[in-house]
Amino acid sequence: MMNRKLKRSLLFWLCLSPIIVVILFPYAVMTITSLKSATEVLNPTWWPEELHWQNFSEMWQTSGVGSALANSLYVSTLSTALTIIVSIPAAYALSRYEFAGRNAYRQFLLVSQMLSPIVLVIGLFRLVANAGMIDNLNVLVIIYTGFNIAFCVWMLQSYFSTIPRDLEEAAWMEGANRWRTLRSVFLPLAVPAMVVTAIFTFINAWNEFVIALTMLRKEENYTLPIRVLSLVAGRYTVDWHYVMAAAFVASVPVAILFAWLQRYLVRGLSIGAVK
Amino acid sequence: MQRATAPYFLILPSFLLAAAIILWPLKEIVSLSLHDVNRFGILRDFVGLEHFRVLFADPDFIAATWRTLIWTACVVLGTLIVSVPIALILNEDFYGRGIARILIMLPWAISLTMTAVVWRWALNGESGMLNSALRDLGVIGSNIQWLAEASTAFPMQILIGILVSVPFTVTIFLGGLSSVPEDLYEAAATEGAGRWDQFRLITLPLLRPFINIAFVLNTIYVFNSFPIIWVTTQGGPANSTHILVTYLYELGFRLGRLGDAAAISLIMFAILLVFTLIYVRLAMREEKA
Repeated sequence: MMNRKLKRSLLFWLCLSPIIVVILFPYAVMTITSLKSATEVLNPTWWPEELHWQNFSEMWQTSGVGSALANSLYVSTLSTALTIIVSIPAAYALSRYEFAGRNAYRQFLLVSQMLSPIVLVIGLFRLVANAGMIDNLNVLVIIYTGFNIAFCVWMLQSYFSTIPRDLEEAAWMEGANRWRTLRSVFLPLAVPAMVVTAIFTFINAWNEFVIALTMLRKEENYTLPIRVLSLVAGRYTVDWHYVMAAAFVASVPVAILFAWLQRYLVRGLSIGAVK
Repeated sequence: MQRATAPYFLILPSFLLAAAIILWPLKEIVSLSLHDVNRFGILRDFVGLEHFRVLFADPDFIAATWRTLIWTACVVLGTLIVSVPIALILNEDFYGRGIARILIMLPWAISLTMTAVVWRWALNGESGMLNSALRDLGVIGSNIQWLAEASTAFPMQILIGILVSVPFTVTIFLGGLSSVPEDLYEAAATEGAGRWDQFRLITLPLLRPFINIAFVLNTIYVFNSFPIIWVTTQGGPANSTHILVTYLYELGFRLGRLGDAAAISLIMFAILLVFTLIYVRLAMREEKA
């Protein structure tokens, strides 16, 4: 019996290996390049002769990644908080009330999910420019919130629907009013769903590209993706070892967070997709 | 009475915020697309559909539209073909499944911009590691300048597009597979159905709604996808890898043709609306079934 599982495992890993190699290839390139010396970087060898850990500290001092990291943290944290605050009540309404317009609201969310920032960027830019708010990070916070609401309400609602109503009804029977039930029965059960949804919203904001590219002009306001791109685009000589070190710093923390949480996403999305 | 108004109060803040971020810019885009605009966004005369006429006479726009079609079709179909077997394997019980899942999901966690920046370096003609890897394997004899020509750059961009779309698609399929009741297979096995028959007669039909939804959602995401092409080639060389989104950005923010860019936005909006309607119909049909 054990033997069969072992055989099967080997076969499956064999089938998956080509795609895994292709998926890992760019990230392996990133990691290796970030540890090469300036002279070795132009040599496409697989293993650097010596590991240049100082690339990371040198990159940190010269590239402005530190302030970009702070900007990204600021924007992602605030917009996640704002998104969650407005999405929880909406998701609660969708999962616990029957009301006229419920379906219309759900379809509005769907449509807003379909419109990516890129389709609206011309109009957004004009509005922001007319208000004289280019280079204002708070504008980014509001825009990210607007675009994340649909995803967030959708995920929360699908989780909320899995929390059995019986518990709340039992509390009502005991004479607790709606608010009290909400606070002492529903919300404690919903905390894991909120945390997971918040983290995915954070990752979305952290990785956003086109709005930040358009709305931020001064270097000191750049978020991480724009900062890293600015190290590459429009330059005659690119210090690729620094660029890869910066990309490494920008992606690894989020990747670890995501790896830890991906199975919750599988559950939330699949419940949301069919229910 | 209080009960009847409560849900509306609860959804109001989210509705207002989402509507403001979507409808307000949309109104701006409509007015930009119907007026003569200078490069600083000052509206001048009303010109009606002039911007649309300019676009349809612009060979680069027509080429970008066709390329968008090829881009979307190749990435979406490629993703579905790759994702079905991966999801089937990841749904089985085997040693190291957790690690395999994380590895397959990895591109989802890393921002498209970073992935694209890294690929731009890996595809570098002289120092790129793709060339050296392919030479070591004996696939190519001399270095290829991947990003210097559309004929090599665009297929690579499609490949990157597929790689970053697989995680989401596999996730949807895994959700679908977990809803397939185990006893169906047992029943089929006692009836003498082989593995292939089980897949064809049970798995595939039950997976169909999830394939449909993944198809429509991927179509929308890929159609809107900006960073891969913008970061690797910026639509170049000579506009030969533009899709609609990158062409829109180029017109609006590089060339200052805001009116034309707004017109592209509206054309894309119309196409997206059609996709969305298809999605809503599919989703509704699932709900009824």
